Formats: sequence, C-alpha cells, structure tokens
Amino acid sequence: MATISIPARTDYMKRGIAGWLATVDHKRIGIMYLASTFVFFLLSGLMALVIRLQLAAPGLQIVNQDLYNQLFTMHGTGMIFLFTIPCLVGFANYFLPLQIGARDVAFPRLNALSLWLLVFAGVVMEGGFVLGILGLLPGGASNAAWTAYVPLSNKQFSPQIGMDIWLLGVVLLGVSSTLGAVNFLVTAYTMRAQGMTIWRIPMFVWAMIVTAAMVLIATPVLTAALAMLIADRNFATQFFNTANARLWQHMFWFYSHPAVYIMILPAMGIVSEILPVFSRKPLFGLKAVVVSTILIGILGFTTWVHHMFVSGVDPIVERFFMLTTMIIAVPTGVKMFNWLFTLWGGSISLKTPLLMCLGFLSTFVIGGLTGVIQALIPLDMQLHNTYWVVAHFHYVLFGGSVFGIFAGFYYWLPKITGRLLNDTLGKINFALMWVGFNLTFFPMHLLGLMGMPRRIATYTGDRGWDLGNLIATIGAFMIAVSVLIFMANFIQSLRRGEPAGNDPWEGNTLEWTTTSPPPEHNFAVLPSVNSERPVRDLRLAAAGQPPAASREH
Amino acid sequence: MLVPPASYDARLINDLFGIVYVLSFIIFILVEGLIVFSVIKFRRRRADETPNQVHGNTAAEIGWTVAPALVVGVVFGFAVDTLGRMTARGSPTMPLAHVHNINDKEALRRIEEAKQVDLVIEVVGRQWVWQYKYPGGNVTANETLIVPANKTIRLDMTTADVIHAWWMPAFGPMLYVNPGEVSYVWFNVPPGEYIGQCNVFCGVAHAQMISKVRALPEDEYNRWFQEQTAGVSGRVAVGDPQRGKDIFMNQNICWSCHTIDGTKAQGNVAPRSLTRFATYDTIAEVVPNTAENLRDWLHDPQAIKPGTAMPNLNLKPQEIEDLVAYLQTLR
Repeated sequence: MATISIPARTDYMKRGIAGWLATVDHKRIGIMYLASTFVFFLLSGLMALVIRLQLAAPGLQIVNQDLYNQLFTMHGTGMIFLFTIPCLVGFANYFLPLQIGARDVAFPRLNALSLWLLVFAGVVMEGGFVLGILGLLPGGASNAAWTAYVPLSNKQFSPQIGMDIWLLGVVLLGVSSTLGAVNFLVTAYTMRAQGMTIWRIPMFVWAMIVTAAMVLIATPVLTAALAMLIADRNFATQFFNTANARLWQHMFWFYSHPAVYIMILPAMGIVSEILPVFSRKPLFGLKAVVVSTILIGILGFTTWVHHMFVSGVDPIVERFFMLTTMIIAVPTGVKMFNWLFTLWGGSISLKTPLLMCLGFLSTFVIGGLTGVIQALIPLDMQLHNTYWVVAHFHYVLFGGSVFGIFAGFYYWLPKITGRLLNDTLGKINFALMWVGFNLTFFPMHLLGLMGMPRRIATYTGDRGWDLGNLIATIGAFMIAVSVLIFMANFIQSLRRGEPAGNDPWEGNTLEWTTTSPPPEHNFAVLPSVNSERPVRDLRLAAAGQPPAASREH
Repeated sequence: MLVPPASYDARLINDLFGIVYVLSFIIFILVEGLIVFSVIKFRRRRADETPNQVHGNTAAEIGWTVAPALVVGVVFGFAVDTLGRMTARGSPTMPLAHVHNINDKEALRRIEEAKQVDLVIEVVGRQWVWQYKYPGGNVTANETLIVPANKTIRLDMTTADVIHAWWMPAFGPMLYVNPGEVSYVWFNVPPGEYIGQCNVFCGVAHAQMISKVRALPEDEYNRWFQEQTAGVSGRVAVGDPQRGKDIFMNQNICWSCHTIDGTKAQGNVAPRSLTRFATYDTIAEVVPNTAENLRDWLHDPQAIKPGTAMPNLNLKPQEIEDLVAYLQTLR
C-alpha cells in the first residue's frame, strides 16, 4: 500500500474564512474550485452577451472596436482556462477520491497550491481587464485573441502591459493545471479501494486519468511558448521573429488542440457515469469506452496542424494531419454508440441530470460531424476562421463540455450540499438552455457558409448576415436566463431543498455510500469493491438478492 | 456553400461539401433518431422495474467501429481527389515550397501551370488595407481590385506587418499571408462584383479590412487600365473638396481609422480627430500644417514620420489634390 500523506494537523475543517483559506481537504478545495470557476463562467458569459449585442444588427457600436477585441479575447480565455478546464478539475477534486474510496488526494497541499494559483491568475487576468475598462491600465487588456498569434501579439503590435499580464496569467494557469494533473494521476494510481482493479475504475476517474496524462504532456509546451513570448516582448529574444511566426502556431496548437480533449473527456466521463444510473443498466461496452478514451487521448496529439491548413504548411504534412484528425471520429463514434445503447432497453428516468446528458449527446454529435467536415483540407480552405468554426467549437465545448458540466451539477451538487435541486426548475433550465444554445450557435454555421469571418467587431448591412446574427443574439439571452434559473434553483435548494440522503439516484459508484455531504474523512471504513458498480451490489445485497456477477473473467 | 461559387476551385469545394453534408446528415438523423426513440420507448414506467443487464455486444461494437472507419476512409479519398484536382489548377498551397520539399513530377507540373497565368498582381496586406500593384508598377489600387474576367489571375501576396489572409468566399480557397513570405492564390472568374475581407484577426480595425474584386469583360478592363496609365502621367486638376470627401469616405479606407464628427468616419486608430483638422498647427505633430506638407504626408506618411500607423496608400496625384482640398474645409 502506498503511504497516504494526510497532514497531521486537523484544523482544516475549522469554521470561518480561515478554515477555508488554510484547508487542504479535497472536498473544500473542490468546492472552491467549482465556486470560483462558476464566477469566471458568469464573467465570461457577460462578455459573450456584450459581443452578441454588438453583433445583433449591422453597424452597431455598443463598444468600440478595441474593447470588442478585448472582450472576445477575454471571453475565450476565460471560458477555456478559467471555467471549462478548472471546473472539471473541481469535480475531480471532490469526486475522484470519493469514487476510488480514498480519504483525500495524494498530495493535499499541492492541491491547495493548484487552487490558489488558479484563483490568483484569474483575479489578475480579469482584474487587468476591469482596470483597462476603468482607464487605469494604459492600452487595456490583451486584445490579440486567445490564440495570440505572433507578430500581432509582440511588442510592436501589442505594446500594452495588459498583454504581458495575460501571458503571465496563462503561465500560472498552466502551472496550476500541471500540478493538478500530477496529483490526480498519483491519486488514481496509488489510492484506489481494495478490489478496484483496472476494469472496475469508474468512468469519470478513467476520463480524469487520460485527461491528466494529456495535461502533463501538452501544457508544458504552451507554458514554454508563453514564456518565450514574454521574453520576446520584454527582453528582445527573437524566439518568434518574422522568420519563425509559424513556430508560435505549432507550439500553441500542440497544447490547444489537445486542450479540446482536456475539456471534453471529463465531461464525457460524467455522461458515462450518469447514463447507466438513470437507465438502470451497466455502461454498454465498458472496455470499448475505456479504450476509446485512451485512444482519443493519444490521437489528440496527432492533429494540431489541422488548425494550420491555410498557414502555409507542406501539402504532404497537411494530408497526414487531415487523416489523423478524421480518425479521431472513430473512437468518438464508438463512445457515442455505446452511450446510445446504454439507453437502449433501459429503464430511463428523465430527471434533470439525464436530460443534460441527452443535451450533450444531441448537440455534441453535430460538433463531431462538423469537425470531420472541417478536417477536409479543401473545405477548411473555405471554412477556416469563419463563423462556421465558431459554431463547430461551441457545439463541442458548450454542447459537449458545458452540458456535461451542468449534468454534473445536477447529479453531484446534492452530494456536496446534502440537498436536492428542484427537478421542475431543472427541466426548465434544461429546455431554455438547449433551445437557446441551438438558436445561438446553429445560425453561425450558415453565417460561416455565407462568408462571415470570426472576430470582426461589426459588419455592414449589405452582406446578408443580419437575420442569423439577430437570432444568435436572442438565443444567447435565453442561455443567460437559463443560467439565472440554475442559480435560483441552487440557492433555493440550499435554503429549503429536499434532503438528498446518501444515495438519491440509486448510484453505482462509491461516493453514494457515504453521507451527503461526506464527513471530513469521507468513509468511516475504507470500502472494498467487487464489480464496476459496487453501490448497486450493496443495494442488491441489502434487498436480499445475490450481487450481480462481475463482468470480469 | 451559401455563397455561389465563382471559380473552378470554389465549385470543387462546393461539390465535396455536398457529398460530406449528405453523409453527415444521415449519421445525424441516425443518432438523434436513436436518442428520441430510446427515450420514448424505454422510459421508466414502474418505479421498481429492472431492465435486462446487457453489458455489451462484441459483434455490434466491432460493427460501429468498422463502419465509421470505412466512412472516414471514403471521405478521405474524396478529399484527396478534390485536392489533387484543385492543385492541378493552382490552388494556394505554395508551389515553390512544395517543389523544394518533395521533388516530384506532380509538383513540377504545378510550377509550370503556375507560370501560365494571364496576369500577375502584387498584393500587400497591411493594417488594415489591401494594396494592389499591376505589372509595370505604375498602376495601383486600394480596397477594390479590378481584373479582367475569364482570365487566370495570380496574386503574389506579402504582408507589411502582421499575418493577414486575402479571401473571397466566392472564389473558394484562402491562404495566410505570412511575414517574410510570398503566398499565392489563383482565380478565374466571370464578370461581376465580389466581396470578401481579411480572414485572420489582424488588430483593432480587422473588421474594416474589406477587399472587393470587380471582374470586367476584357475590353472594359483594357480601357480602364489605359485610363489608369494615362492618369499617372496626365495633368493634375485643382483639388475638389467634394471628390476628396468621396475618396475619404467611399473610394478609399481613410474613414476606418480616422474620426470626423457627423460622418461615417468613426475610426479610433488615429490619435487625433480630424473634425477640425484645418485649425491644427501641425500634421501628425511633426510638420507645420501647410498644403505642401499635407501633399507630402499623403504621398508617403512613413517618409515624414517613420513608424506612424498611417500606411502609404499609393494615392494618385489627383486624389491627393482632392483630399487636400477636402481636409482644408474641416474647421
């Protein structure tokens, strides 16, 4: 058995702010991850609303062009680095140790460091943006898009200090993310409950293992690129001088394409947890799902050049990356069909967590298909950097990741707070979000096909883009209302929500054996595991039925 | 594609899109159909029901691994075929770099084809305007590129600052214009007016980096070209403020960076508003505000204030006269 480093001091359940600031308890850290990333989600969402208002009709000047450019830069950065990635890390913080039957993560203090680096970086980046609006930061925040292509992002074309703040913030986030990845890998490797052999590891844990491995390989490359750009800007190092402008793109996308899988795999893990519970069936083809997840993790590193098909890369290299990009559709398709056949023949309970998963399945499939379409070099030459791309990646990252995250909220918040969310409000939340999402992003496919480039602060009325943009803006406000309903639902559940009990959903995994919220040490007795659905086994045993035979041979 | 394809390459792209669109639509219907059917058919009817505990089905799983792999293979084949036919026409994948890297027959053929164009126009992208220079060097244009229709035109593109991409949706392919490199696009289009814009985010006024193409029948093009050539050596008339205003607001892109209250010019790139320009003591705070200095400034701003954000717009002498006349009315 590995040594579990539980700190000797036991003051981390202290009440009050000091208790929270000093805590190394994975659950409290998880809560702070979820809470802080949700604040960043709201901020980035507000920026999106301003963007949509500006584009609602041709020629609007709600914000000036410079501020518009800052807004979409900070919206993208915030949603990716400050919300989607760390929010899923927040779920992992809280639930990975619980799901594997551990008392904490392997390195609790490192875990606290990851959290506070995230919070610090987020406050610095968003703070810089706010100071810029107030006129206290000359030149404002970064306005070179989240891709920060050189030479646009170098000192000559982006002289403002806000650009350096942005770069430093993303460096800190990279460090936070890398430390978290080490922690999850070691925890999942060394601290699993007795009997939790490789095919009994819960799907969300599997997803986090693959994600953490990807973070470990990809993030240092981005961090290096950012450090080099900081040096270029401040110490005239010439890493990315004119002759090397494409090097930045290679290094940036070597991280930022895998980042898509870093954002989608944990959400897929959540879906793979929820579908079996709400269909009362085991996950269809568990081993195929696990192998597909690992394959996506590996293939994810072989596709980055598809972002550069029109950057001037050798044609043979382009063809290779076109094929590898398309091949990812195969393991993704396998997972999709395994999820569909988990539902097939089940006893499907249409509670909000499952509805959010159906939202994931129904929209992610569009993001997957448009991804294959765009992987084709001839089509990418036409679609690159148009609103088609904006539609595509929002179908993956909102249709996929955000619906997965909201499924996670409805499924797991009762475990964290001890109280159920209101299911009717949840259904309204889902319906508004699903309709609003499709209204916002589906027309963007058509705008892209009409030739509307992304990242333009305004457009003229003679291009035929008015109607699509107006519909998208209406949809964006529907999404905003749905998020407000979620917040109202959460607050009312804290005040007078129905007590959740240990296991409100007839769950399968170990977090449902302990109380809601779990005690400081998670489990009175460390559990042991005989199948991939240990809690179902316990339920059957309590009802006097023999536990289901393990699937292993 | 919702923009009607005007060039051969754009038509190829359009055809490929049609094929993968149909395939994607079939898969889309299959997946959404399975979701809706399952949710209706297998919804929970009794609280205590326990469905059959199916863990998987190897044959089915192999099936939905192999089937998508086959579809991917077929689509890849279509895409490579399209690429081959596109490059035969000279698509934007830099032919020179290609030959340099792999010395094959196909590449050599493309090089030969690349030489056989009817007109080569030099293009410079700069924040935030496209500038065109016709063979001979005397004829230049900003924003609107005028070309002969049904002729193969090659653009040799460079950038003066950051990465840009010259793109006409109706012509199909786009290509980045990278610092320190020449990028090429070809097209051969029927007469008409086409519009596109820079497709790589290139800074504050990216949205105003519009490019238009006017393809004229050959005789009309020749007449236009003759006029332009003559215009360069012809006499310059006295400036007309009305024409100057039209150049500022419509023919050229001055308006996108400058502000003049009460007009469409609301750009925020230039540091000073031009609303009362004629009352200013200096031009760009370097030289006294006289008509002669203003002519020199408009002719080549960089020569007067190196590093200024204002690009050399290759204005013709008559245009400069008209602009000076207009700017001197701003009080």
